[in-house]
Amino acid sequence: MKLSRRALVSLTVALTVGILLLAINLTGSGKTKDVVLVTHDSFVMSKEFIADFNKSSGFNLKLLKAGDVGALTNRLILTKAAPIGDAVFGIDNTFQAAALSGKIIDGRLTPTDFGDVCFNYDKIWFEKRNITPPTSIKELTLLQYKGLTVVENPNLSSTGLSFLAASIDKFGATGWEPYWRSLKNNGVKVVNGWEAAYYTEFSGSSGKGAYPIVLSYASSPASEVRANGKSQTANILDGCFRQTEFVGLLKNAKNSAGGAAIVKYLLTPKFQASFPEAMYMYPITPGTPIPPAWSKFTQIAPHTYGDTLNFDANRKSWLAKWSAIFG
Amino acid sequence: MQTVRVGLRSGRLSLVKTPNQAAKWVLPLIFFGALFYWPLGRILSMGFASIGFNSFLTPRVLSLAWFTIWQAAVSSILALLFGIPGAYVLYHRSFMGQRFLRALITVPFMLPSIVVAIGFTAFRALPLFSQIFNGHSSIPIIICANLFMNYSLAVRIIGALWSVLDISTEDAAALDGAGRLRIFISITLPQLAKSVTSAGALIFLYCAANFGLVLVLGDVTTRTLETEIYMIANENLDLTKISGLVLIQSVITIAAFTVVQRFSKGQLSFNGLTSLTPKPRIDRRDLSVIAITLIFITGLIGLPLLTVMIRSFQVGDRFGLSNFYNLASHGARDLLPISVGRGAVNTFRNAGLTTFISLVIALTISFLISRTSESNSQRRFFRVMDILFQMPLGISTLVIGIGYLLCFSGGILPLRSSWLVVPLAQSLLTIPLIIRLVYPAFVSIDNELLESAQTDSANVSQIWWLIELPIIRDVLLIATGYAIIVSIGEFGAASFLAYGDQATLPTILYQLISRPGVQNYGMAMATSSILIVFAFLVIYLVNSFDRGGLEIHLRAKRDYTTLR
Repeated sequence: MKLSRRALVSLTVALTVGILLLAINLTGSGKTKDVVLVTHDSFVMSKEFIADFNKSSGFNLKLLKAGDVGALTNRLILTKAAPIGDAVFGIDNTFQAAALSGKIIDGRLTPTDFGDVCFNYDKIWFEKRNITPPTSIKELTLLQYKGLTVVENPNLSSTGLSFLAASIDKFGATGWEPYWRSLKNNGVKVVNGWEAAYYTEFSGSSGKGAYPIVLSYASSPASEVRANGKSQTANILDGCFRQTEFVGLLKNAKNSAGGAAIVKYLLTPKFQASFPEAMYMYPITPGTPIPPAWSKFTQIAPHTYGDTLNFDANRKSWLAKWSAIFG
Repeated sequence: MQTVRVGLRSGRLSLVKTPNQAAKWVLPLIFFGALFYWPLGRILSMGFASIGFNSFLTPRVLSLAWFTIWQAAVSSILALLFGIPGAYVLYHRSFMGQRFLRALITVPFMLPSIVVAIGFTAFRALPLFSQIFNGHSSIPIIICANLFMNYSLAVRIIGALWSVLDISTEDAAALDGAGRLRIFISITLPQLAKSVTSAGALIFLYCAANFGLVLVLGDVTTRTLETEIYMIANENLDLTKISGLVLIQSVITIAAFTVVQRFSKGQLSFNGLTSLTPKPRIDRRDLSVIAITLIFITGLIGLPLLTVMIRSFQVGDRFGLSNFYNLASHGARDLLPISVGRGAVNTFRNAGLTTFISLVIALTISFLISRTSESNSQRRFFRVMDILFQMPLGISTLVIGIGYLLCFSGGILPLRSSWLVVPLAQSLLTIPLIIRLVYPAFVSIDNELLESAQTDSANVSQIWWLIELPIIRDVLLIATGYAIIVSIGEFGAASFLAYGDQATLPTILYQLISRPGVQNYGMAMATSSILIVFAFLVIYLVNSFDRGGLEIHLRAKRDYTTLR
């Protein structure tokens, strides 16, 4: 194929002009009616809710998923001069302090929902083998539970970090490292994220993995109800961590009014009621109706650990110490 | 710098030197200054502002550096051990189906590293291997994935030289009754030494920067410098630590790069690479080498590819197409910001623009460098420019991503809000590679041709469009292909810059594989298998379109390119 000189020149010029036009067009977007809600990857808001919000507020809602809670928070910190949205949903109590000291939030973070990070176990697995399932996190270090537990890496997973915090709170500054060492010696498996732990490694889920004890949520048994009307899994209600998620307005937001409107909307009763089914979390507003399966198969932990620790000040040293045990 | 002197000595360059040359440097210098050195400098200065330079060499960091180096070293040694017999079988002998095998082994090299990683999660889960891989560290599977990706590099680089070796000495030795192994060790291997070394160093380079592979396949204990950078950026955002890790990564990369450069010098030629002498047919005495090669290709290349293809049709306990239908969706629980289809559109759009930008800038730079005159000061200027424009090869792409978020969110260049940010960042990775391809081609243009054109009073632009461009057209095609491949697979910078509705295939695939519920895992497999078929088709088409062409491409690549 031989291109004539003229053809090449005009092609080049056309391409350059085209790209410039596109660029100008795209960077100039963002009408004042648009409101961008930045969320973590697990946020779910149905089309009906989006339409309802748009109708009631007069704004045009756009969702922007920006990674896991860590990636989300740090992305917002790096870009705070010109934030990528107007409001943020999904910063939790493990990143709350980082978000506040990073000065990305206008005003305060408002809690929207919570969930208890607890161990689940596969009831059928234990019944078949006639082994009594563990009732506390301390028991996970016992010989009879050797090689049965899978947890998430706290460096990469907020679920994993939650349990690390709970163990630090429960066993104290001098006790948590020996606890993790004995967990390691007892063959605990560490994987990168919740989905890998729950869907790939755990024996009680659809993945039919090899580990009958998994670090998950107190609400998870509601999703494992079998044909006989019983859940295959149950909670270990000791050593749980209460994860609370927040919504907040971003500093320097282009559309503060729109941001404030979406913050408010996430706290309306109808949206609050969607949290269990859509995001497997409990609504923060007391008295919000809960799905029947939830009231039957899930419990809220009677006592939780670690959720008020100072993550911003200690995360680095906790993770370094934890990594030293597993590195 | 041999190649440079060839160009300089000829003296042609002063002929076409134009007075406004300095002005022409402005575009590339501004491009690199604003889009590379500014963000990099900002990160490093923030990183080292608060704390001393020496405080980052902690035992943890040293062990990360050590792991990065040794997994790359083991991988490249193994790739060479398997690659040499492979090169012999596929390039020094002939047999039916040889071209198919050559195409097959090239597929992994063309695949985005995240696709390879996903493929090996499926490979690892095969009943046959789960015994071997489960319950142990993830290092063996990472090394297998490294081999999978880089085997073809070893085979092709060594094979390309092997296929043009003069075999008369070998024949003479064979007549004297020397065995094939002895002939290989005492006659052939010394002749291949250069290409073996440069292949080894190149593979090392790739394996030291296999960020996507280690991120997906690695467990808690297996971390490289780059996965650590990624982790810190998503947790503590400790810029001091990040800066320290970046510098160590750069030292490793630049050292390996220098070795590649050193050993691939003096092999510059774009013509006559296709061997004209027919290769001897394979015979019974080759049995052991054939066995090694076939076992390797079947087990470590064919099987992983096949596993992904089969897994992509697997739905629960049955087979079906629903994984492919799901590609129009956003994944389980609406995980993805956009559908995989939209992600593919973004990816190819980025690849198109990246290619265009990097061709324009790299051609300008190559053109200008090739017009440097012989004076000492000019030569020094050329060297400085060369290093200046090659630097992105030595810097982790993750840092470019972080730096862009930091520098281009507001201020005078609010690029981040535009989709252009990803192609611009990716251009920085492809420009150095294209320069290494195009510049030698410029220099190799026959001088007399240019002089006689000048005598016929052709002006600079006529010479460019009518003589130089047609001559380097082949190289431009290779450069285009290379830029497209790099852009499609680029994950480091994209993992920070391509999110929301700008997500690309690699970032979407990473989201899917990080949340391997049944549906998401199936979608990751389906996307991967489409990309595998796509890569195979491209290679096959290129092969049948131009029989000698691909060989030239890969030789050219061996000579002038590395990394990413």
